[in-house]
Amino acid sequence: MRVRMLAAAAAVLALAATAACGGGSAGDDGTVTLRLGFYAAAGDPADTTMRELVKEFSAANPSIKVQLEVAPYVKFFERLRTQIAGGQAPQVWLSDGVLVQEFAARGALADLTDRVKTVNAADYSGIELNRDQKGRVFGFPQGAQTPVLFYNKKLFAEAGVAEPTAEWTYDDLAAAAKKLTKDTNGDGKPDTYGMRVYSPGFTESWWPIIKAFGGDIVTDGNRKVVVDSPEAKAALDWMLAAMGKDGFAPDYVTTEALGKGAVHALFATGRVAMSYGIYARTLPAVNAKVDFGVAPLPKGPKGRGNVAIVNSWVVSKAASPAQADAAWKWITYFAGEGPQSRWARLGEAIPINKKAAASALPADRGKVFLEALDAAGDLGTNAVWSEYTEALAKRVNEALSGATPVATALKTGQQEAQQVIDRFYAGQTQ
Amino acid sequence: MTVLTRGTERTAAQEQPSARRRNARERAWAVAFASPYLLHLVALTAWPVLASLFFSMTEYDLMSPPRFVGFGNFARLFGDETFWRTLGNTAYFAVLFVPTQTALALLLAIALNQRLRGMALFRAAYFVPVVSSWVVVAYVADAVFNPQTGIANQVLGLAGLPAENWLQDPVLVIPTLAAVAVWKGVGYMMVLFLAGLQAIPEERYEAAKIDGASAWSRFRYVTLPGISGTTFLVLVLTSIETLQSFEQVYVMTDGGPHGASELTVLYLYRQGFQFFQMGYASAVAWVLFVLVLALTLVQFRLQRRWVHYA
Repeated sequence: MRVRMLAAAAAVLALAATAACGGGSAGDDGTVTLRLGFYAAAGDPADTTMRELVKEFSAANPSIKVQLEVAPYVKFFERLRTQIAGGQAPQVWLSDGVLVQEFAARGALADLTDRVKTVNAADYSGIELNRDQKGRVFGFPQGAQTPVLFYNKKLFAEAGVAEPTAEWTYDDLAAAAKKLTKDTNGDGKPDTYGMRVYSPGFTESWWPIIKAFGGDIVTDGNRKVVVDSPEAKAALDWMLAAMGKDGFAPDYVTTEALGKGAVHALFATGRVAMSYGIYARTLPAVNAKVDFGVAPLPKGPKGRGNVAIVNSWVVSKAASPAQADAAWKWITYFAGEGPQSRWARLGEAIPINKKAAASALPADRGKVFLEALDAAGDLGTNAVWSEYTEALAKRVNEALSGATPVATALKTGQQEAQQVIDRFYAGQTQ
Repeated sequence: MTVLTRGTERTAAQEQPSARRRNARERAWAVAFASPYLLHLVALTAWPVLASLFFSMTEYDLMSPPRFVGFGNFARLFGDETFWRTLGNTAYFAVLFVPTQTALALLLAIALNQRLRGMALFRAAYFVPVVSSWVVVAYVADAVFNPQTGIANQVLGLAGLPAENWLQDPVLVIPTLAAVAVWKGVGYMMVLFLAGLQAIPEERYEAAKIDGASAWSRFRYVTLPGISGTTFLVLVLTSIETLQSFEQVYVMTDGGPHGASELTVLYLYRQGFQFFQMGYASAVAWVLFVLVLALTLVQFRLQRRWVHYA
C-alpha cells in the first residue's frame, strides 16, 4: 500500500513538474527551434505583418523552426523578465530601444559586436545609438523613432500663417503658435491651440527642448545627471510661458486629463496646430485624414536637440550557438530592404535599412525624419534608464504643472536621478 | 477496515498495534486525498512566500543570481522617502475609504432590508460595480471626474462653483479615488450587512418596541450589537483590501499627479517589475505584510470590547 501511494505521489509530482516546464530546443535532425518574441496588440497590423514575415523567413530557412511569442507591450516585458529569471526567455526578441542597455547590463543579452562587424554598417541607421560605453553592441536596429515638428496645413492656411521651415527658431514657433491659438466659441478658453508642448512622453516634449536650449540631461556615458542648469531652466520656463502667460499651448492638467496615450489625439483631432511627434504619430494623423506636414525641430540657442530611439532585436545570452546563429539570420533577414519596406508600410517606424527608408517613406515627410535621425543623439540610455528617467520626469512634471518652482524641481530631480544611477553602478564592473 | 469487525474478542494489548496500523493507514489516505491541495499550498503559496523572504535579503534583478545583502534592503527602505510617502498615501486612502464604505454599506443594507417589490433589482444595481473590472470603472469615473467633460464639474458649474481637476490635483486625487473605490466596493459589503441584518431575530425588535424603545434606540441597542460580528468582518476585509490596493491606481492615475496617488503596492510593483529590483520589492512586500498583520491583530484585539456573537 505504502509503495503504491509513494508511486502515486511520485506520478503527481512528475505530472506537476512536466506541466510547469516549458519545452522547445534544438532537434537532432539539424533543425533549430527559435523562439522569437515581439510586442504587439493581438490583431494589430504589426502583428499580422510580423507573422507574414516569419512565414517567409521560415520558408527560406527550413532548418529553422520559429515559434512566435507575442503579447501587448506591458505584458510582453513583464513576462519576459520572469522568463529570463526562469531561464525560459525567447532566444531572440524585439526590445524597446531604451531597454537594451537595461537587459545588457544585467547579463541577459548576447554581445553582438562581432556579428555586427560582418554587415556593412553604412547601409543601416541606428547601429551607433546601440553602442555602449565600452563600444559593445547588444542590439541590432529594427525600426527607429525620432521627433520632428508636425503641423496642420489647414489650420495654418486658415490663420494665414506661413508654414514652418528648417530655419525656424523657438521664437518663430512661439510667434506662429500665438497666431494659431483661437477661441472660436468665445468662452474665454482656446478651442485650438498653436502648439502642444507638454506630454507625459518626454521624448516629444521637454527632453529635446532642454537640449535645444543648450542644456543636457545626462553626460559621461549617461552616468552623470546634469539637468540642473540655467539652460534647462530656460527651456522649462519657455514651456511654462507657452502653457501660461503666452497661452498658446494646452496646460499640464488639460493634457493629463486626456488620459494615457491620448495626448497624441490633440494633433490628430485638430485641437493643436503643431506638435512634436515621433514617426509613429503619422499613423493617427493619416487615419484622422489630417492634412499635415512635418518640419525639422526648431533651432534653439544650441541646435535642435534631436534624439532617437532605436527599437532593436536582441539575442538571449542563454541561446545555444545554433540558436544564436539562427537568431542572427532572422535579424539580418528583417534588416533587408524587402522586409524593411514591408514594415515601413505600417507607418509605425522609420526603416533602419537606408535603401528601404529612401524608397518606402512618403517623399515629403521622409527627408525630414531621416535628417533628424542622422542628427540624433540617444535618449540617455543606461542600465537604469526606466528608473532614473521616472525619478527625473516626476520632478520636471511638477515644475511644468506649476506645483514646484523650476529651479527646485531641476535640483531635486537631478539629485534623485543621480542617486538611482549611483546605486546601480556602485560596485559594478560593467 | 475488516480488522475492526473481527476485533471483538481481542485483548487491549492485541488491539493497540492494529489500531496504530489503522490510524497510520487512515492518516496516509488522508494525506493522499489532501495531496493535490497540499501540493498546491506548498508549490504555489508556501514556496513563493519563503522565496520572497529570501529574496528580500538579496539584490536580485531576475536576470543574474541573487546576491545576499542581509537586511540591506530593509535599511534602505527605512531611509526611502518615496516608500514612506506611498505608505502615507495608502494610510490616507484607508482612512477615507474604510469608514466611508462601511457606513454607506450599512446604510444601504438597512434601506434595502425591506420586503418591498423590486428590492432585488435595487440590490443587484448596487452589486453591478462590484463585478465590473477596474478598467470599466475607470471609464465611468472619467465620465464623472474628467475636468473638461465630466459630470462632477458640470454640477459644480450649476451651483456656481469653480471646476476642479479631480484626478490631476495632488490634494483631490486620493479623496476622488476613495469615492470611486467606495462606489465600486460598497455593494459587496452591503450584501454582507444584509445577511447580518437578516440574522437578527425579529423578537428582539418586538421586545424592544414593547419596552417603548424609539427607532433610534432599536438601531443603537438591537441592530448595531446584532451586526457587530458582520461589522468586524467588513472592517477587517476592507482594511486588508485597502492596504493591498493596486489595480485602481494602476488603471486610473498610475500614481500621479507627481506620485500623489502612488500607493505602496504600486510602488512595490514598479520596483520589482519595471526597475528589476525584485529583492527590494520583496522587502517592501514583507514590511507591508507585517503592517497588515499588525493592523489585523489590533482589530482582533479590539473586537473583544465591541463585538457580540449572539
